[in-house]
Amino acid sequence: MGKFWSIFFIFWSIVAVVAVAISPAMGWWFPTAAESPLGEQIDDLFFLILYITTITFIGTQVAMGYVLWRGATNTDDRAEFSHGSHSLEVIWTIVPAFILLFIALYQIPVWEQFRIQSHFPQDAVNSPIAEVTARQFEWRIRYPAPGRVFKGKSDIERWLKQPEPGDLYTVNDLHVPSNKPVLIHLRSGDVQHSFFIPDLRVKQDAVPGMVIPVWFEASRSKAYEWVCAELCGWGHYKMKARVVAESDEDFKNYLHELELEQFDDGVPELADSSAAGEEEVSE
Amino acid sequence: MNPRYLSQFLSKSSAGVATHIFSAFGTIVALCGFVGCDSKPIGSKFVLSERTEELISPARKRVQDQLTEDFGTPQDLVAWLRFPVDYGMHKGTIKDVEATDQGSYKFAVDWTDADAESLRIRRGAGLMMTSGDYAGTNVKVNHYAPESGRIHIDAFMNPAPAVGDELTVVGGKLQAGRMLYMEHCVHCHGTSGDGNGPTAKYLNPKPRDYRLGKFKFTTTKPLEKIATSDLKRTVKLGIPGTYMPSFMLLKDDELSAIVEYVRWLAIRGEMEARIVNELHGDYSTADVRERVKGGETNDEIEEELQTLFDEDFSETVDDLASGLAADWLRADEEPSLILPNVPRVPDSLESQERGKKLYLSGDTKCVSCHGPTGRGDGSSTEEFWDIPGSQPIQKYAVRGLHDDWGNPIKPRDLTRGIYRGGRRPIDIFCRIYAGIKGTQMPAFGGKTGPKDLKDEDIWDIVNYVLSIPYETDRAIHEPLSIPPLEQTTAATE
Amino acid sequence: MSTTHPTHLDSVVGDAHHAEHHHELSFIKKYVFSTDHKMIGIQFLITTLLMLMVGGALALGVRWQLAFRWSTMPIVGEWLFSGEGGQISPEFYTMLFTMHATVMIFLVIIPILAGAFGNFLIPLMIGADDMAFPVLNMLSYWFMWPAILCFAFALGLGPESITGVIGGMNAGSAQGWTSYPVLSAIAESAPGSQMAQTWWLLAVTFVGFSSMMGSINYMTTIINMRAPGLTLFRMPLTIWAMFITAILQAFALPVLTAAGFMLVADRVLGTCFFIPSGVIVNNADPTTGGGQPLLWQHLFWFYSHPAVYIMLLPAMGMVSDMLSVMCRKPVFGYKPMVYSLAAIAGLGFIVWGHHMFTSGMNPALGMTFMISTMMIALPSAIKTFNWIGTIWGGKPQFNAVFLNCVAFVSLFVVGGLSGIFMAAVPVDIYFHDTYFIVAHFHYVLFGATLFGVFGAIQFWFPKMFGRMMNDTLGQIHFVLTFIGMNCTFFPMHMLGIAGMPRRYADPYLHPYLEHLLPMNQFMTISAMVMGFAQFILLFNFVYSIFCGEKCGRNPWNANTLEWTAPSPPGHGNFDIPPVCYRGPYEYSSPLAVDKDYLPQSEYIPRKPGEKPGDGQH
Repeated sequence: MGKFWSIFFIFWSIVAVVAVAISPAMGWWFPTAAESPLGEQIDDLFFLILYITTITFIGTQVAMGYVLWRGATNTDDRAEFSHGSHSLEVIWTIVPAFILLFIALYQIPVWEQFRIQSHFPQDAVNSPIAEVTARQFEWRIRYPAPGRVFKGKSDIERWLKQPEPGDLYTVNDLHVPSNKPVLIHLRSGDVQHSFFIPDLRVKQDAVPGMVIPVWFEASRSKAYEWVCAELCGWGHYKMKARVVAESDEDFKNYLHELELEQFDDGVPELADSSAAGEEEVSE
Repeated sequence: MNPRYLSQFLSKSSAGVATHIFSAFGTIVALCGFVGCDSKPIGSKFVLSERTEELISPARKRVQDQLTEDFGTPQDLVAWLRFPVDYGMHKGTIKDVEATDQGSYKFAVDWTDADAESLRIRRGAGLMMTSGDYAGTNVKVNHYAPESGRIHIDAFMNPAPAVGDELTVVGGKLQAGRMLYMEHCVHCHGTSGDGNGPTAKYLNPKPRDYRLGKFKFTTTKPLEKIATSDLKRTVKLGIPGTYMPSFMLLKDDELSAIVEYVRWLAIRGEMEARIVNELHGDYSTADVRERVKGGETNDEIEEELQTLFDEDFSETVDDLASGLAADWLRADEEPSLILPNVPRVPDSLESQERGKKLYLSGDTKCVSCHGPTGRGDGSSTEEFWDIPGSQPIQKYAVRGLHDDWGNPIKPRDLTRGIYRGGRRPIDIFCRIYAGIKGTQMPAFGGKTGPKDLKDEDIWDIVNYVLSIPYETDRAIHEPLSIPPLEQTTAATE
Repeated sequence: MSTTHPTHLDSVVGDAHHAEHHHELSFIKKYVFSTDHKMIGIQFLITTLLMLMVGGALALGVRWQLAFRWSTMPIVGEWLFSGEGGQISPEFYTMLFTMHATVMIFLVIIPILAGAFGNFLIPLMIGADDMAFPVLNMLSYWFMWPAILCFAFALGLGPESITGVIGGMNAGSAQGWTSYPVLSAIAESAPGSQMAQTWWLLAVTFVGFSSMMGSINYMTTIINMRAPGLTLFRMPLTIWAMFITAILQAFALPVLTAAGFMLVADRVLGTCFFIPSGVIVNNADPTTGGGQPLLWQHLFWFYSHPAVYIMLLPAMGMVSDMLSVMCRKPVFGYKPMVYSLAAIAGLGFIVWGHHMFTSGMNPALGMTFMISTMMIALPSAIKTFNWIGTIWGGKPQFNAVFLNCVAFVSLFVVGGLSGIFMAAVPVDIYFHDTYFIVAHFHYVLFGATLFGVFGAIQFWFPKMFGRMMNDTLGQIHFVLTFIGMNCTFFPMHMLGIAGMPRRYADPYLHPYLEHLLPMNQFMTISAMVMGFAQFILLFNFVYSIFCGEKCGRNPWNANTLEWTAPSPPGHGNFDIPPVCYRGPYEYSSPLAVDKDYLPQSEYIPRKPGEKPGDGQH
């Protein structure tokens, strides 16, 4: 039986490796390759770790299979009497230590770009696209009035604190310009949620009581799926939304359409141009 | 292998296998102290309304039978064509007939309005022969294969329908609506649309009970039902500030299937209520008890009821249905929709001031509910109110307003900038014009008395209401130089 | 102190001989409120095995929904959701996964390792007659029952008038086992956040009491009650692991208990430790606030990350012992094994932040936590290499015990390696809260710990009951569980890579996950097979208690002290108080002439000319 079990353990690890190897072809893999510059770097890091861990996995499983097979075929009267090897211990302490430290340090620049505010793309920071408020179970979006120019940090903070009459509102449908970094301010209206766009490899929790800036860049003009990744109650799975990345032109048009819609007074022939305008006059 | 097909295959075959494994497991777990029962799939049920339950049992049974006959069960829906519901219809011509071993038939059909592949017809849909020997015959679809365009029916017909006979398949959309409803809506709104799904009791406000046929946020005139487009908008955008989420990302045909199913449930519920109204005065358990006290016997009452059913009750039901159908039909017609006589009054400080005056005036009494500062804390929220229709008059157990469903409601806090029926000026206009149906928010529009509001006045109030969230911070806002909107608009065009 | 030992210990009549010195105990004292560590250990073992089945049933509920979403769920569907055609509600689903994790962690893994094996093995392996504080020990078991009761209430079982959980199981605790506020702090935020959540917190507190009593007892016992000659570095690795685990518990638990009380205060007394201001949930009144939800996460993970090692280290220790016995070979690198256990425990206290990379805490913290987390992989790697080294050159006996131990090592490698992905902050941005993490911790907790436990049950069963468990059944159970386990949990890695978030009642609502349905169905069927296989274990367990092959004191020819006691040991454990002469792993030692093992308590007179210490270190 010993030989059978040695093969059994080898066999499972082969199945595991094969399963991973065929996964991309079977569609059990990333929904798409990352479609943002940061996401591409994250993918690269993922593959780096994947290669290192695969080699380690194969190494340990082969070693395991080998020692089992040797044990199964061992015809000696007695097992080897050994309490270990100091030099082996040193080797298998130092080598993994270096590999692990390398992996850790190699990650830092990408993390810096994504989360350390001083490394954020400044253009995006200076003109946030929208404020996204997660609530049970939807994403409420507030754009600044078209043409609203932010004068510095304090102005943005003021806008985040106090809505303005020209702000535009939507739900579950965030439009952003593609091919340039954009920044949203993420907050939660009730419990904790998480802003997750799989294709862009962006995830950030929305924490009650905090306003968290999140930046991302979509390299293509298309609609990206956007979901919630932190348990937020019974309807957690329902927070289905999309981020539409589009050209600057389309984005502006979209905001214009939104504005017309939002200031619609229900009178067909006049709905187009004038009605919305007066909203601002009072201010 | 295409994963989609695989999934279809698996969900059919493996669910069966898995059920067996699972029930075997379950049985063993049951021995360990769990409640166990055998686990063949069970169907969902339409429940009777509370008022129906109050009827004596022969009356209740008649109502139940009537509803089952006219509307079916969740697994076997009936499309009663008299109501203005888009049940989904597909017309076609038989192009060849194949008899099966069991004596039923499979038709290949030429569809006039769709191609065979894209068509989804589920088991149980109605099939109506519209020409040939069997014109007027109704049968049920057993199975439809989109690849071959073949419909399999169970009915035995001899001789077989002829090639060239025309047929109509009815109810596909209603079935699709039900499937989607059971996936997205049922845990709050309940199988019967009674707003009493398993999750409902934890929600505030409570999910809508459709069976009153009333919906709060409409663009129709005060006495009209909700328009289909209003329901669609609600499902699409959700109701901000409540648990009704936005279903914006559903496909358009999915949205409209859900909406049709909801309308159908509402009609079904209202039909039930109207039938029960006919019986409730005389044949509720309480009434019968009174009558027995008055000297009648149970047998006499039941006999009388039987006579009623035998004689003209079907006609009564028919009349009720006609009236109901007309109500729902009217809601979607142009004259029912609110159309402001004048465009929005330019939003200026003056207009807002005028609006504020109206808001604070004794004629509108806005203040009594929404409060002097718009916080929704008017005096009416502090009082105990009578339960309408209660005999003798009883009061609600909690302070404050209640809607027609008996749920406590709060007047909107206008300072928060959350508008459940939408934030467009026309939305607010409609709220003021037609009120919020089923609540104490009254309808102000469309009246011509000297003290009544004209559309201009309503616009002033709209302007004021929309400015309330910014009122306290006006000082902060004024220094900002936001470019006038006309310029921005011009720039984008 | 005796210097000679009978060579055939089995000839000494254990139970009967021993019982003469003690008065007969009543049934209640002997089997129910027993202060005997062995009985308490067995009580823990049976309780946790039953809870394992409960947790498994909850898991199958989760798997059912993921494979056959919204279809009639067997058993519960008809029972609770007949109006909806047996289709469960989403909050019921959230309850299922919450209570699955809760039961598995607090009522299975932690008590089966520390409670069952810690209790049973510590006095026996160190040659003591019982724990230092037997009554405390009894209390540690009996505090599990209030916990189980409260968890049952949290699950929505029990009469509504007592529990206050409105809606029964549909309103069972549903915040995830991590109970993140504000969801867990504000009653209106979910059906499960009402009374059920308070019961849940109370239950966790009771489990905490139980663990704390245990860990104080273990530390004291191990420090003070070792047999003569059993120095720290002659202790079996099982005892080292239990010792370090006890220390971990003692330091980490108070934090969780305190956090739990703070959360209860937020819920019941209206404090706002974790609730910021102005939060409006379900149209309740806005919160007054001033608190910080992230505070809970820090406090919770300050306990719960060490807790992960509480759930792993004892299994590591036991597997080391079992591997050595089964391979007839000393453990490879005993001291590195001890040091790496200690290193894991030490580092375990400074890695909690890796659960919070995407939480919005200061991103600079993310980097430090990443480095400490990467470093904790190192001692784990060292242990893995040493286990392989232990098998290397041995003469393994391929029985159920050994197979489970090999599976432990083999699967722990997967769990360890997948951890590296999530330790790397940028990669974790994508993987956080996807199925990748679910795969990871199931490989560690099921793949490693539970396989270790399965091995340990069969290994120490003869000592518990004086009979062997059936090895054929053991191997069948092993094969089915191993295959079922891998088929269930390995695909979860792929689901994670495909971006499927955890805790979704219906992932297929999202088009990018639609194609994963067949895979989930495959996993569910595998999980059912695996669930089934556990009945084999239960059957084998119960059957063998009464009908297993009888065995002597030392059926495995093992060295450690417990095998010199009778099987099962009587009250007071050892008929002859053992003395320890050497380390625990002297298998195939040249000093042993007629056999391939050298019990710790066996004295071998020094040959002339031999230096002191040779062979008896």
